[in-house]
Amino acid sequence: MDLAKRMKDAGTWISNRSGPIALAVLLFYGFFFVGNFSTETNLTAILLQYSIIGCLALGQLIVILTGGIDLSQGSQIALATVVCAVVMSRFGVIPGIIMALLIPTMVGFSTGLLVSRLKMPAFIVTLGMLGVSRGLAMRIANARPVSINIDGFKQFGYATLLRIPVAAIIFGIAAILVLYLLKKRKLGRYLYAVGSSEESTRLSGVNIMKVKLFAYTASGFLTAVGGVLLAARLGSGSPIGGSGYELESIAAVVVGGGSLFGGIGGVGGTVSGVFLFGVINSILNLTGIPPFWQGTMKGLIILAAVALSQMRKKSRNGA
Amino acid sequence: MNASSYLKHRKIKSSEDTKNVIQIALIAIVLMVIAAILSKGVFLQPRNLMNLIFQNGILILIALAQLLVIIVSGIDLSVGAIMAMSSILIVLYQDAGSGAAILIALGASMVFGAVSGSLVTFKRLPSFVVTLAMMQIVYSLAQVLSGGAAVYSGFQGATISEGFTTYYLGSVMGIPNVILTCIIVIILVSRFLRTSYGHFAYAIGGNEKTAYFSGIPVERVKVTVYILAALLAGLAAVIFVGRVGMGDPRAGQWLPLDSIAAVTIGGASLSGGVGSVAGTVIGVLILGTLTNIMNLMGVPPTIQPAVKGIVIILAVYLNSRKKN
Repeated sequence: MDLAKRMKDAGTWISNRSGPIALAVLLFYGFFFVGNFSTETNLTAILLQYSIIGCLALGQLIVILTGGIDLSQGSQIALATVVCAVVMSRFGVIPGIIMALLIPTMVGFSTGLLVSRLKMPAFIVTLGMLGVSRGLAMRIANARPVSINIDGFKQFGYATLLRIPVAAIIFGIAAILVLYLLKKRKLGRYLYAVGSSEESTRLSGVNIMKVKLFAYTASGFLTAVGGVLLAARLGSGSPIGGSGYELESIAAVVVGGGSLFGGIGGVGGTVSGVFLFGVINSILNLTGIPPFWQGTMKGLIILAAVALSQMRKKSRNGA
Repeated sequence: MNASSYLKHRKIKSSEDTKNVIQIALIAIVLMVIAAILSKGVFLQPRNLMNLIFQNGILILIALAQLLVIIVSGIDLSVGAIMAMSSILIVLYQDAGSGAAILIALGASMVFGAVSGSLVTFKRLPSFVVTLAMMQIVYSLAQVLSGGAAVYSGFQGATISEGFTTYYLGSVMGIPNVILTCIIVIILVSRFLRTSYGHFAYAIGGNEKTAYFSGIPVERVKVTVYILAALLAGLAAVIFVGRVGMGDPRAGQWLPLDSIAAVTIGGASLSGGVGSVAGTVIGVLILGTLTNIMNLMGVPPTIQPAVKGIVIILAVYLNSRKKN
């Protein structure tokens, strides 16, 4: 009986960390059984590409914790790259970055206002904002990619510090800040509270409007950070880029154990969710499986992850 | 409340739905008047109105599919992928004849719907995530089948039957076939929503637990709804193949969000239990009219998504304010 209990505890321990464990298994497989996986070029490529989606996923996590969803991220990242490119070529690097960070943050702020003040469903508001941001990006860029002619900024997109891509370092800092916010700050705990039960949080005297407003603004800002990194990597602003990124970030949060009903999820899970997709894509590419199968793998992983988190919920209720 | 008394209750409630639809129709009429004034009357000519439905035929079918799922408080992100897959299957199985090809495509679509529906119903997984995964899987399988590119001929080299183009461009007694198809589907879906299964669907969307304890076969109804939605998405591929003359593994990527927009503009609630066929069709027409107006006013196509986005937010805001 003692053994049975210990087995069960071990089972819960594992299922609570399914994202990181799956990532570790895949990394192990990649390092030892897939040629060229452990090369610096490959690992750098994974870090470069998925750090950007990682920034979006952190924002998405904050929103999903409150029980909301942000569908506008994909368009907002396009808006950020376009603003970055346009402002940068006229006024220089620093104003470009500042404006690129500012505008999606403002879009996120207005989303937050609509969701919190007017009590509109996040799904619809961010669906509308998806259109608004895409339209703005297309208008500013005149529906054409805007190239960036500043070499320093473009090099920044691929720069490394101690052989780690700067983009990954920025993403790491963002992840640590979000982790600190969620674990150590009152506001972070409120995010979980609002997602678990909005009504009881409100009744305990928390200003839930402010909490929600913060969540969408933060999502806009983190998306903008991803946008600046993307602009630097592409060396241009692309008004049609980034479509579908919102679904990738949602998938990462969910695979990392987050619940779309709010209140459940964490930075560790989300980050491992992001790189799980990165590592799998890389392994599939390197083992010569046709790229068309990648979507199937991705879909099956998402399904497995939600099924697992569902089982976890059931066992928690049963206990 | 048991199942039969629920049905009575539902009849009373349907008068609220009618009010809802009238309000949405008013928005549509205002938009149409604006369009008529801007176009100096051209917009209201029967030919132009028919064009509006004609151009939005695919979206009407997909939006009705979305409506069914939204009524049971789900959401279906895989509708576009299923249409793409269906278009690929229709073209690849041309060797067996168009009829057989369409049947195969519709059958496959229903299988995908059944899988999503079962996962949502029996495993209680959130529909957003399940259909998001399904979307990835179906798009990827469509690419595997088609080799990643558009397909123009069957496995054994049979070209696409002329019938698809003839169907798409043809008409019966002056009414284009696409519009006829839409009308038939609209009638069938509203019939379905008036059967006991349809009423059960509303009940499930309103409160699944109550529905279950009222003796409603919740599981059967939910799975049926997902299968029907997938069937409609598969059917939309017939119009698609007629229009573009190929099977496209990347078709319809904008369909999930556009259909959700149309359904919610049409007064449905994403939390389920509310929504009507008439509202949804008007929702599609509002989106279509809007594009028409913007083109008439010379709004550059680049800024049009922004205007559309604002209209979606406004329409839903007006709807929700009325309820409060």
